[in-house]
Amino acid sequence: MIRFEHVTKRYGAGSAPAIDDVSMEVSRGEFVFVVGASGSGKSTMIRLATREITATQGSVLVAGRELRGLPDRRVPALRREIGVVFQDFRLLEGKTVYQNVAFVLKVLGSKRHTVKQLVPETLELVGLEGKAGRLPHELSGGEQQRVAIARAVVKKPAILLADEPTGNLDPETSLDIVTVLDRINKTGTTVLVATHDQSIVDDFKKRVLELKDGALVRDEQQGGYLRNQDFDHGSGRRAADAG
Amino acid sequence: MRIQFMLGEIANGVRRNASMIVSVILVSMISLFFLGSGLLAQREVSLAKGYWYDKVEVSIFMCTAQSTGVPSCADGKVTPTQQSQVKRDLESMRPLVQEIYYESADQAYKRFTTQFKNSPYLAQVSPAAMPSSYRVKLSDPKRYDDVVNAFSGAQGVEAVSDQHNVLNTFFSLLKVVSIGAVGLAVVMVICAILLITTTIRQVAFSRRRQVGIMRLVGASATVIYLPFVIETLLATLVGAALAIGLLWATVHYGIAKLFNGQSGNGDLISLIGVNDVWSITPWLLLGAFVLALVTSWITLRRYLKV
Repeated sequence: MIRFEHVTKRYGAGSAPAIDDVSMEVSRGEFVFVVGASGSGKSTMIRLATREITATQGSVLVAGRELRGLPDRRVPALRREIGVVFQDFRLLEGKTVYQNVAFVLKVLGSKRHTVKQLVPETLELVGLEGKAGRLPHELSGGEQQRVAIARAVVKKPAILLADEPTGNLDPETSLDIVTVLDRINKTGTTVLVATHDQSIVDDFKKRVLELKDGALVRDEQQGGYLRNQDFDHGSGRRAADAG
Repeated sequence: MRIQFMLGEIANGVRRNASMIVSVILVSMISLFFLGSGLLAQREVSLAKGYWYDKVEVSIFMCTAQSTGVPSCADGKVTPTQQSQVKRDLESMRPLVQEIYYESADQAYKRFTTQFKNSPYLAQVSPAAMPSSYRVKLSDPKRYDDVVNAFSGAQGVEAVSDQHNVLNTFFSLLKVVSIGAVGLAVVMVICAILLITTTIRQVAFSRRRQVGIMRLVGASATVIYLPFVIETLLATLVGAALAIGLLWATVHYGIAKLFNGQSGNGDLISLIGVNDVWSITPWLLLGAFVLALVTSWITLRRYLKV
């Protein structure tokens, strides 16, 4: 679903790479945490996958498309298959919860009855039943993030990318949010979560990719937040071999 | 769904950026008003030239039954003998006389009615008052005096005139007006382009989160651009409509009332009327349309990356 082949990204000529020769693959239906300190390249990885930016070297394949050669006019079709969630929610302040979620479908030209069916369904999926008429500022941070998740998945994307989705939330709420993401993953959506939140990574025992200064230093199934010493002999070599 | 949604977005955009929209309306109104003035001045020139202006240098008007007080018209309406004498004399002046056209009184009346259709004089002129004429093209236009002298006072000839002399002052005035108007139009169009660019950038900035989300979920460039383009288009077209109204008022209350009926020396100059405003209307609307479409699309492509 997402494949990086020797991908390097430099933001300026001669500057240190934000992503340095990374090769990895995320299969359809997987749930993956990408961990690492701030500036390790997590966000760059997500921006490469949505083609906000293009790789300096190597190739990025997402949903069957090679992104470097993808013409601009094909980018919207790519993004329709990807949902994105951010740390700062990015909700439209003047619109209600329902309108925020319906906005996506309307922008994409969905039929009225599709909107009427999908929006309540999605709000239920993220646990926001009964909050459809609220405005964003009337909601807690966790609820706002649920709205953002609903907005990202209402168009039924094949891939959900979350960039520090729990960065602004307390530990308990963070856990709830990741549970929602896990529930979405169970419906068949490939989920990639970039985070430096140790507890959620340790709790969920999912595949973990670790970035350090732009380089992929670990790829471990059912991993924890911190790098295990036995990585070299562990089970996490798949992507490195595939590259 | 999509259309209704987009109309809602557009209404929102207009409401939130009302002052900028109003300024786009005003600037496009002024620029199109000047452009329209230039076009109307051009039309006035070609209308005043009439059918013969560019073809001949000298016109020899024959006597009509109503010609009184002119000695050479003592016999009343020009007789066939007098007429063929003039024709023979003209033929004898070749090669200076290059072409001779004959216009009968009936033809002259028809042409007059079309050329002066906006003039209050039209009702006062009967076909009998229209002279038949010889229109003469010269191989050397500077020697028109030779022809004027040869036929002034000839029997059956009421008048010999050189219309270029009569109209040239008027035309040079109109030329200044039209160059001035078009020059101002160019300056104002530049203002309009800059203002539209600024407006779109400001509107795009005030909607950056919304646009960001649209991009993120995979809205096509068209869906993202269209509200901006339609807002600009609406503003510019309203400006064009106002400019057309202003031109109409100028022609209807200004030109027609001021000039017609005040022609002191009897030289008739046909004047443009409101019909001429309607006939340049499609061009002004098209101009506004192109201005809005091209400017907004280029601005969006530059400043609003999808």
